[in-house]
Amino acid sequence: MSLADLETQLHPVFLSALAGDAAAYRVFLEAISVRLRGYLRHQLARAGRTEPSEVEDVLQETLLALHLSRHSYDPASPVTAWAHAIARYKLVDHLRRSGRHASNLSIDDEAYQLAAPDTVASDAGLDLTRALQSLPERTRKLIDQVKVQGCSVAEAASAAGMTETAAKVAIHRGLRAMARILTKRNAP
Amino acid sequence: MKTDELISLMATSNQPVDTGWLRRATWLAALLAMIAATIAVLLTLGARRDLAGAWATAPVLGKLLLGASVAGIALAAFQRSLRPGLSPRGHLSLILLPIAAAVLSALVVLAQAPAGEWASLTFGRSWQACLIAVVLYGLIPLTAMIAVARRGAPVDLRLTGAAAGIASAALATIAYSVHCPEDTIPFIASWYPLAMGIMAVVGALAFPRFVRW
Repeated sequence: MSLADLETQLHPVFLSALAGDAAAYRVFLEAISVRLRGYLRHQLARAGRTEPSEVEDVLQETLLALHLSRHSYDPASPVTAWAHAIARYKLVDHLRRSGRHASNLSIDDEAYQLAAPDTVASDAGLDLTRALQSLPERTRKLIDQVKVQGCSVAEAASAAGMTETAAKVAIHRGLRAMARILTKRNAP
Repeated sequence: MKTDELISLMATSNQPVDTGWLRRATWLAALLAMIAATIAVLLTLGARRDLAGAWATAPVLGKLLLGASVAGIALAAFQRSLRPGLSPRGHLSLILLPIAAAVLSALVVLAQAPAGEWASLTFGRSWQACLIAVVLYGLIPLTAMIAVARRGAPVDLRLTGAAAGIASAALATIAYSVHCPEDTIPFIASWYPLAMGIMAVVGALAFPRFVRW
């Protein structure tokens, strides 16, 4: 699928997601992660990194950043360009943090146009899992229930004795804390 | 954690998102920071003695116009730079228009004045004070811009920082105009733009350190 087709398909979907539609948001995240995985794998390979778990780690960090930066999206602009710019920022940050000199980076933007989709998710490294471990117990339990046991947020919320909205806010804060931990990891 | 699990988690906890917040926050923070900087100027330096009669004269209005136009352009570029995928460079370069207008007016004034007055028209009595004041009082809006930028998603931190620095110096220009006793166009067209340039560098250096995400 060309980038223009992907844009045509995802733009209305993402606008629904921004309005609060969870199903549309899932469709968007799944489609964009296939695209971004291909892009990141290609770019990391160019930088001499071929470990699949590293691709998945950067992809997860990028998805987390997309999630926490949804409010930075301008609804009139292309959503694929927005996602790409964030992936590129996180990729450069990742390579810099893991010891490559920024000047050695050759990140080319054309690669995003041409990136082959990659639907094969590898096992991630432990970055995100470790970040999850450092959250307060209550938040971690909430996230575990929704993530691993497949509970709805409403179910997890009532198990924890809180309202659904409060649970969503707690999960959001948890994800934000995890993103912060990822950014600080191996900080120069 | 698997990527699918992360996607499920983010999708099920999805809530409506306000995409206009950054824009409103930028303008509101700039307005409040400008008021705060003006109060700081009044408390520390005081108003110029002839403010009541001078505020509506061309030089003071010129300072306000220069400050307001540069601040408006730089803030719009700053706000765009917090949104990945939008390129704010073209917007930011528009600040050259008001600055060029100021410089041209200054050249006209100098051309009409005898050469012996050029230095006093340009340097006035307080050009160092002007530079220092605009940079120092500009730190108030710059702090506010850092706070806003930390809630956005700037992918080019140097550019965001430069835009924030220019906007901060422009807001400080407005604030300092209640005190600044210099009323010549060559003075205004030299030292205020120079202070904006200094603050652009300060912002470009500060943002990668304070706003990284």
